[in-house]
Amino acid sequence: MNRKAISAVLSGTMLLSLMAGSMTTVQAAGKTKLTLWHIQTGEMANVIQGSVDRFMEANPDYDVEVVQKQNDTFKTDVSLAAQAGTLPDIFITWGGQTMYDYADQGLIADLTEYMNKDNYKDQFVDAGIAQCTYKDKIWAAPVENISVAGIFYNKDVFDKYNLEEPKTLDDLEKICDTLVENGVAPFALANATKWTGSMFFQYLATRYGGLEPFADAAAGKGSFENDAFEFAGTKIQDWVDKGYFCDGFNGMDDDSGQARALFYTGSAAMDLMGSWFTMTIAGENKQFLDDGKLGFFPFPEIPDSKADQSLCLGTIGDNLYVVSNKCADKEAAFKVIQSLLDDEAVKERTDLAKIIPLKSFKTSDPVVQEVLDTISKAKGIQLWYDQYLPSEVAEVHKTTSQEIFGKTITPAEADKELQDAMTAYLSKKGTASTEAESAETEA
Amino acid sequence: MQQTSLAFRRKKSIAVASTVFLFPALLVIAIFIIYPIIDSFATSAYDWNGITDKLFVGFGNWKEMFHDKVFWKAFGNNLIVMVLSICIQMPIGIALATWLDKVGRKGNVAKVIWFIPMLMSSVAIGYLFRYALDANTGFVTGLSQLFGGGRVDLLGNPGKVLLTCIFIISWQFTPFYMVYYLAGYSGLSEDVKEAAMIDGATERQYFWRVALPLLKPTIKSAVILSMVGSLKYFDLVYVLTKGGPSHASELMATYMYSMAFESHRNGYASTLACGMFILISLIAIVTMRLLNRKED
Repeated sequence: MNRKAISAVLSGTMLLSLMAGSMTTVQAAGKTKLTLWHIQTGEMANVIQGSVDRFMEANPDYDVEVVQKQNDTFKTDVSLAAQAGTLPDIFITWGGQTMYDYADQGLIADLTEYMNKDNYKDQFVDAGIAQCTYKDKIWAAPVENISVAGIFYNKDVFDKYNLEEPKTLDDLEKICDTLVENGVAPFALANATKWTGSMFFQYLATRYGGLEPFADAAAGKGSFENDAFEFAGTKIQDWVDKGYFCDGFNGMDDDSGQARALFYTGSAAMDLMGSWFTMTIAGENKQFLDDGKLGFFPFPEIPDSKADQSLCLGTIGDNLYVVSNKCADKEAAFKVIQSLLDDEAVKERTDLAKIIPLKSFKTSDPVVQEVLDTISKAKGIQLWYDQYLPSEVAEVHKTTSQEIFGKTITPAEADKELQDAMTAYLSKKGTASTEAESAETEA
Repeated sequence: MQQTSLAFRRKKSIAVASTVFLFPALLVIAIFIIYPIIDSFATSAYDWNGITDKLFVGFGNWKEMFHDKVFWKAFGNNLIVMVLSICIQMPIGIALATWLDKVGRKGNVAKVIWFIPMLMSSVAIGYLFRYALDANTGFVTGLSQLFGGGRVDLLGNPGKVLLTCIFIISWQFTPFYMVYYLAGYSGLSEDVKEAAMIDGATERQYFWRVALPLLKPTIKSAVILSMVGSLKYFDLVYVLTKGGPSHASELMATYMYSMAFESHRNGYASTLACGMFILISLIAIVTMRLLNRKED
């Protein structure tokens, strides 16, 4: 009997210790611990670690742990951590509806006070601060990168067929026709990834109708069943019919670089891509850059459109760094964020071809300079639809855009499907907020 | 009197010991299997993106699922994968196993080569075929161009993508069933074959009249395995096409994944998971009943 009791107790303790083992963390004595989650890879991860190391050297009372997370699962990681109450002190968001949700749920801290201190926010490009602002408060710092989409082209191919950078959409179509005649695919496109093709849709809609149609539709004041989106969808299908995109685009994935291979070898002439493309090429095919083969021009204009033709599609800041509301020392956390853009870091980031959203930013790379010129001329930025929209609507947009390319759906049907998803989301949100309000009044 | 009490005590001590020994396993099963299933059913009554508050919608998600064309298309695709997998993999698996069983050791090299696809991870196979089937630079396009044909787009074409996936799945899993049947063959006694041969059976007669009926239990469990496997299939298709283009290769599991981790509709994704759970259980139970009845 005794032995049984002992063995039961022993196995019980063993189980308990197994379960407890993962919970204990050793705290460095007397130091405040901060955690930072980022999603940078390669050399950039070292830059961030370097910044944080300099912060810890200057502030020996702090111990900052830097955790490199995966891009694709990041939103899920954050929501899991939020539920478990283990949100890191500093993490990133891409802005848009996701950041607004974080703010509304009280997950992230209001950084207005810190951003205003010593006019720190004035160092940033205005559009970047605008992207971090919600309900007149600043919730984040735009640190990483200015990414706008534009058309990159292979200069060799353009030279070979005596082509010049197009100014208008008609010019672009002429170029494409010439290329098709000569058996070159005008655009390299890997559209299994969906957001790649969606950029054509977004740019065409923005050129046709400006910022309003999208902003109104997303806010529930307008609709996606609108001329601008209809125009975008129709144009894309027209271009698909004319063979403007490389063969098999809907089956190719951007991550595996098949479409880029066509671009490098000159089998495809152009690629509509975010300005991170220069970094991608630097990592993948440096020779291509060194030979000066890469060219850039902004998305062509529609001359007779009422909309502003200087608008860019993209993001100012890309990864916006936020501080958790539960963070014990928010001021220090903000200083860690500032250290990500200290003089040393700015230099390192510039060398890595990042376009830092600081007013003082300068570059020596001619292609990056062209991107910068485009941005400085832009009267506004259209944030990527898939970052601006709530994820469930964003996914519908990405899928319908892929279907437009695949011609399994008409542009009107696609717009209707997207509008239905938007309406469903807004009505749900409406019920949620009225419920919350009535709960508040009851309390 | 003493005997009964001894028997009773023995029974009791076995009960205690088995409880103690089973407890850790039960605990793990409860935490990692039973609790999540119950929680999925509970979550299926909410609309929830993981960040904002859960919004109770009752059977709203279930209603949506019943009317969700994409889900039923995915279910249909799963059924196609299931039927074709069985039709392709089982006969080839049996044929290879039969040949290997017949030639014995001489077939070892072939056995190893045929088994290689099974040793590769699904993700690696996915990437391999993504490149091999590339419409511009891939193997199939190259072959077609060699014979004067045009470019072949298998993964981007909604009409062909599902069959392409099934072909790759079969390429991956046929070796598994080959080994499975080979194991079944090794369970057959040599005496049976000798007896059949002495009675004047030809090789063909031996296979159809003796070996195949004796392999029936193996075939049965292989069919069930393949069925459940195809109904919950995920990894290779996800890597290869992510269910696209236009949901043409969407499976229930890839659809559920995209709802949960791309659209962040956790409530609805839970509903889909529960729907899958119910559908797969039903199909498995019905099939097992049918297969067992035939035996009687």
